[in-house]
Amino acid sequence: MLSICNLSRRFNQQQVLDGVSLQVDPTEILGLVGPNGAGKSTLLRCVIGLVRPDQGTIQVGAVDALTHSLEARSLIGYGPSETALYHRMRAGELLEFALSFHESADLDEGRALLQRFEVPVRRRVRHLSHGMKRKILLAQALASGAGLLLLDEPMEALDPEARRMVERLLRARARDGAAVLFSSHDLASTERLCDRIAFLHQGAIIREGRAAELQSAASSVLRLTLREPVSVGSLPTHKGWVWQGERTSWTLRHEDAIEVTLGRLQHLPIAGINDGSESLEDLFAALCPGGGS
Amino acid sequence: MLARQYLREIWWIMVGYLIILEGAMIAAILYWPQFRDNIPAIAKLVPFQALQDLLAQVEHAGYWPYFAIQHWFKGCSLFGVAAIAFMGSGLIAREADQRTAEFLLSRPVSRRRILLTRFAVLGLAVVAPVYITSITAIWISPAVDEYIGWGETLIASSWMSLFLLMLCGLCTLLSALSTNQFRAGALLVGFILVNFAVYLVQSLDRFSLFKTIDVWAFMEIHLGKTPWFMMGLFATITLVQFAAADLVFRRRMF
Repeated sequence: MLSICNLSRRFNQQQVLDGVSLQVDPTEILGLVGPNGAGKSTLLRCVIGLVRPDQGTIQVGAVDALTHSLEARSLIGYGPSETALYHRMRAGELLEFALSFHESADLDEGRALLQRFEVPVRRRVRHLSHGMKRKILLAQALASGAGLLLLDEPMEALDPEARRMVERLLRARARDGAAVLFSSHDLASTERLCDRIAFLHQGAIIREGRAAELQSAASSVLRLTLREPVSVGSLPTHKGWVWQGERTSWTLRHEDAIEVTLGRLQHLPIAGINDGSESLEDLFAALCPGGGS
Repeated sequence: MLARQYLREIWWIMVGYLIILEGAMIAAILYWPQFRDNIPAIAKLVPFQALQDLLAQVEHAGYWPYFAIQHWFKGCSLFGVAAIAFMGSGLIAREADQRTAEFLLSRPVSRRRILLTRFAVLGLAVVAPVYITSITAIWISPAVDEYIGWGETLIASSWMSLFLLMLCGLCTLLSALSTNQFRAGALLVGFILVNFAVYLVQSLDRFSLFKTIDVWAFMEIHLGKTPWFMMGLFATITLVQFAAADLVFRRRMF
């Protein structure tokens, strides 16, 4: 449903996207994860036609999104991260306005979603909270009837219950055949929801795969406690190894089988060792140092 | 929906503009008998030669040039420009200013359609009050024992409307170029103020836009000469400005 190939974009001197390639198939949910400024929003904005890439191709269904942006947008239900909306409109009117451009939109479904989200449809947008505005954006994207949902930070400002509801709705839409690509800082939601996860860092996809695969990669971490202080220069090195820590406390990220790695650590004065972390959050921290998420 | 959304944004400004224009027009008509009797005294108080010439024309030709100056030259141009600045400056710039551009432009609708729809609504909001108040003047003028004809009033209103549409075109272009609604409006108002200042300098007044809508232009209409060429020129300039705004808007990134 969505195929992005070798997409690059530079703003002034900064390479915001650097040869990004992605594919999202129907019934699939892909989570785009990365620190602030990684290029997630820019990537989605390229797909929707708000930013022109310097190179690369974007295909939405059978439509070239770069040359036929209007046709491509009619196939996309988009929920921007920006919640600045027409503040004079009432919530229900804004939903109607947003859906009026989509031929396959279902206004009744949109209204039902607003009701489910407990958004007061008669209230003017300027009187709504950030989270309520987020819910309107989600409702209009979900009710657009589009085959591809692009959601930029859909969980932001939502309470846990609403997050769970959005997860259920997105799963249901994927089951019905939609492809879903969303960016998020909420790794717990991403972990629960996504079929595949892509890590974007400094404009490039640095890791991509099924959530389970990534989690097993994330567990290739050993935490070591040494009997005496050791400098980083005297620690053993190997391809794919990354040491972090100081003095007697070190963390090793490795890509080998555990027994092979332990064999290479034999000469170290190890006082204690345990298998490291397993969560996506740890992998994120390892892949995107200083990610701040 | 696009038209309705934009009309909602500008509705109260349009209503205010109509009320002010109507009120100013009625006041001007009712003031006519007093004005007529005091033209020589008023002329002595006016410092600019250009305005003295306008008064001389009123003294010579009577009610029509007085009405033209009061309603079209002064009322419509002054309040019209203010209305255009308030309503039109936000045409595109407000989307950038209030960060709603991403929401709007991610809809499956072309930027040209957005611009055309909003320009049409703006044009209608600016021009409709000109016609409404001018037609009202036809009915109110007998209250001061004066009469203006339907034909000349409608042509004069069209003339004034084309002038204002030209300024709408300029405002649309400025709005498409600007990231700030206030800046677009201020640029338009500044441009008009410079033009009016130039108009008041007798040796330079031919370079001012106001020269095209002063009493002489309306006297020509009163004499049965429709300024087709200038009307066509106004329309052409409007279209060129709209095309430029369209080009800018289509290439612009938000």
